[in-house]
Amino acid sequence: MSENLHDRALQLVAKSRVEGLAQSESDWLAEHLQGCEFCSERAQQTDHALRSLRTAAVPLPADLASRTQFRVRLRATELREREPKRRMLWLACAASWIFGIASAPYVWRIFAWIGQLTGMPKLVLEIGFGLWWTIPALFAVIVLLLESARQSEEPEWMKPGR
Amino acid sequence: MRDEMKSIARGLQKRDPDLLDRLIEQYQYRLFRYLLYITGDKARAEDFFQETWIRVLERGHQYDGKSKFEAWLFAIARHLVIDWQRTKKAQSLDALTDPEQERPLQIANESEPSPLHQVLAQETEVNVQASLGKIRAIYREVLVLRFQEELQIEEMAGVLSIPVSTVKSRLYRGLEALRGALQAGAA
Repeated sequence: MSENLHDRALQLVAKSRVEGLAQSESDWLAEHLQGCEFCSERAQQTDHALRSLRTAAVPLPADLASRTQFRVRLRATELREREPKRRMLWLACAASWIFGIASAPYVWRIFAWIGQLTGMPKLVLEIGFGLWWTIPALFAVIVLLLESARQSEEPEWMKPGR
Repeated sequence: MRDEMKSIARGLQKRDPDLLDRLIEQYQYRLFRYLLYITGDKARAEDFFQETWIRVLERGHQYDGKSKFEAWLFAIARHLVIDWQRTKKAQSLDALTDPEQERPLQIANESEPSPLHQVLAQETEVNVQASLGKIRAIYREVLVLRFQEELQIEEMAGVLSIPVSTVKSRLYRGLEALRGALQAGAA
């Protein structure tokens, strides 16, 4: 029997265990294994190796699950305690923004009045007003950037679909 | 199956402690075995086991329920090991348990015999553990995922972050290496 036939048979033996065979391949292999002691023995060795791997037992450390459950619950409590603080931060951010928008016309009038009183150039007043109005927005942007920086530290494999 | 995956995803989203308790119980053996085979060290595997579940709690909202939970779980565990490896300046899993570089795989624990341990023939088991210890970690890992955890090749590609073709070639090489190692062990 030619060397190529044995090579093909051994490749098919491995393929059948890894990804399965087409019917024609399976038929050819069965026929070959019937007449070839060498390949048949190799197929048996492969099966034995896989059987041994499947039945190999690993001793589980005592209380590993309960210790882990305890740690996980502890961490869950920590996270729960942190949650209201974060929510408060967002609420404060949103409230200050809404207030900023609603009060903008009145604040501008106050700025204009101060400008008249002190004789300050209009540009300075405009910059001051702009800063006053954008501070909550800047604060929100900083919070968002910090949040996204924290999330981008998460490796790609953690994201869904991986 | 799909319903179960969706319900796990919903529970993780809410950080449901009862669900996490149940998942830890359910997957403890498989996760620990996987970690033990890739780290080759019992104490280290225990640490990674706990750390993996902490990550599951923290990042549970990222599990979408579309893929098998165990594949996502193994991916987390694997990357924790790799991240830890990087801090040790090693380049691959092999540095952990490469038979030529470091200590052999330490799986058998004679002081804590499990019921399953007693049922199985000691000789076969020792032989398999020893043989696995002789195989490179990247091959050992695919063998464990495919033939012990029974993941599909596509799922393995997701866990390992490598192409399907690479998974297949590692499986072929791993299978050949295992067969050879067992044969040499038996001789």
